[in-house]
Amino acid sequence: MSLADSELTADAIEELYARGVTDGLPVVPPTRERVSRAVAATGRDAGELVARVPPNYGRATVEKIAVNAVMAGCRPEYLPVVVAAVEAVCDEAFDLHGVSATTNAPAPLVVVNGPVRGRLELNCGAGVFGSGWRANATIGRALRLVCVNVGGAIPGVVSMSTLAHPGRYTYCIGEHEEASPWDSLAVEHGFARADSTVAVLAADAPLSVYDQRSRAPEDLLATIAASMAVIEHHKMTHWGDTLLVLSPEHAALVGDARWTKADVRRWLWERLRRPVRELLPGRDGGDGLPEHVLRKFKDPAHDDTLVPKFRAPENIKILVAGGTAGRFSAIVPGWTFSKGSALVFRQIRPASLEDTP
Amino acid sequence: MHDGVFFEDQGIPTATVISTEFVRAARAQAGALGAADYQTVVVAHPIQPLTRDEVRALADKAFDEILRRLTR
Amino acid sequence: MSDYLDPTDSVAVPRKTAPRPSSLDGKTVTLLDISKAKGDHLLDRIEELLRERARPKAIVRKRKPTFARPAPDELRREIVGATDVLIEALAD
Repeated sequence: MSLADSELTADAIEELYARGVTDGLPVVPPTRERVSRAVAATGRDAGELVARVPPNYGRATVEKIAVNAVMAGCRPEYLPVVVAAVEAVCDEAFDLHGVSATTNAPAPLVVVNGPVRGRLELNCGAGVFGSGWRANATIGRALRLVCVNVGGAIPGVVSMSTLAHPGRYTYCIGEHEEASPWDSLAVEHGFARADSTVAVLAADAPLSVYDQRSRAPEDLLATIAASMAVIEHHKMTHWGDTLLVLSPEHAALVGDARWTKADVRRWLWERLRRPVRELLPGRDGGDGLPEHVLRKFKDPAHDDTLVPKFRAPENIKILVAGGTAGRFSAIVPGWTFSKGSALVFRQIRPASLEDTP
Repeated sequence: MHDGVFFEDQGIPTATVISTEFVRAARAQAGALGAADYQTVVVAHPIQPLTRDEVRALADKAFDEILRRLTR
Repeated sequence: MSDYLDPTDSVAVPRKTAPRPSSLDGKTVTLLDISKAKGDHLLDRIEELLRERARPKAIVRKRKPTFARPAPDELRREIVGATDVLIEALAD
C-alpha cells in the first residue's frame, strides 16, 4: 500500500466514525468490491430480505448485512454464519426489541456448532470468550453492527442499558464438541451432527466458576449451583434459558461418572429451589417474590414451599467449551424472564456446493 | 413507543406516560418511525422504588398534561 | 460517503397524529398497562381522576403481556375496535 493509499484509508475510517456507524473501534471501509465479495459468499441475491431488525425494523438484506460484516472485519466466508445469526436474533422468540431497549445489560451471544467451526477456524478451545481469533471477533461484531446500524439500537439513545458489558463489542464462541462426553447443544436441540448452526442468547457477561479439587459430580455441581443461585439477584426465581459452559476437564469429570446432561440439569434445578420464606423482599435484598406470587401463600414468612430458580430443568443449557487444561467453567445468564427472550437456533445455510454434505 | 405510534396511526389519540430518563429514547424511537413530533407525558424518574402513594402523587401531577395530550 | 455503501436503513414514513376531540365527555378511554411494576398504581389513580374530573362514557383497563415487547396484534385490534382515546403507562 502506498502512502497515499494508507492516507485515504485513514480518512475513510474517520469519515465512518463521523457518521456514527462504528462501535467505537475503527471499521473496515465497506467499498463496493469488498461488499460484492461478501455478498457472493452467501450464494444469495444482494437484495434478498433476511429479516427486519427491531426496534426500528430496518431491512436486513443480504447486502446490508454484508456491508456491516465487511466493516466488522469479516472474511467473505464468514457471511453465512452472520446471516444465520441475524435471522436468529430477529426471531420473535429472541425479543430483540426488548434486548436492544432494556436498561438491563444483555448482548447477543452467538454459539456456533458443527463442521463450520473447523472451516472458519472459529475458536472453541483455550480462551474461547477472549481475543485473538478473527472469526469469533468479527462474526460477533458484525451481528452487533447490524443491530445498531440497521436495527437502530444506538447506545445511550435508544439502547438504554444502564451498564451493558464488553460483549456488546463482540460475543461469539464455538462449542468444543470434540472435547465433550455428550451430544452438542445443537444435536440436543434436534440438529444433525453434520449440520452447522448458530444459537443466540440474550446474554450477560460470563461468570467464571473454579473448582480444582472436586472428584465427583455432586461436589463439582454444588460449587456451580452456588454460583448459579445468585444470577440476576439472589432471590430471582422462575428464570429462563441460561448457559452453563463446562470446561473439558469439568465435563470429563461428570461424563466419566456416567452422568448425562439431563442428569446434570435435573440435579441443578432441584438444588436451585428455595423456600418461599427465604424469598420475601426485605432488608436482606429489597427484591424478592413479586406481590402477585406472595398473595398465593397464607403466611409467606413461614412457608416452606420450594420455588425454583429456573422455570424448568431444560432452561439450563449445557455446552462444553474452552481449553483442555483448567478446571474452570462459566455461567452465562440469559435475559430470560417469563415472556421475555429465549435461546434461538438457526441452521447455517451452505453457501456453495462444496459445503453441501 | 411503537404502540403509541401505532394507535395514533389508527386514529386513536394516545397519551404515553414515560419517566424523564426515557424522553430522549422515546423521541429517537418515534423519529426513526417518522413520528418526530410525537409528544409524551413525562413523570419524574425513578418509579420502581416508590411507594403506592408516591406513584399516585405522580399521577395527580401528570393528569392535566394527559388531558391536554388527548384533547384539542 | 460516496465511495462506501451505507450500513444503515431508514424506515421512517411521514405520519400524522390522530385528530383530538374537544373533551373526553362521553368518550371511551382505554388505560393500557405495559406490565412494568407500579404502572398499575399510576393507572388506578388516573382512573379515579378521570371519573372525578372528566365524564367518560366508559373506562376500559387492558394489560400488555410484557413491557419488553410491543403489544401483540390481537390486543392492538381489540383496543382499536373499542376505544376513542388511549392512555399507556408506565415506561421507566
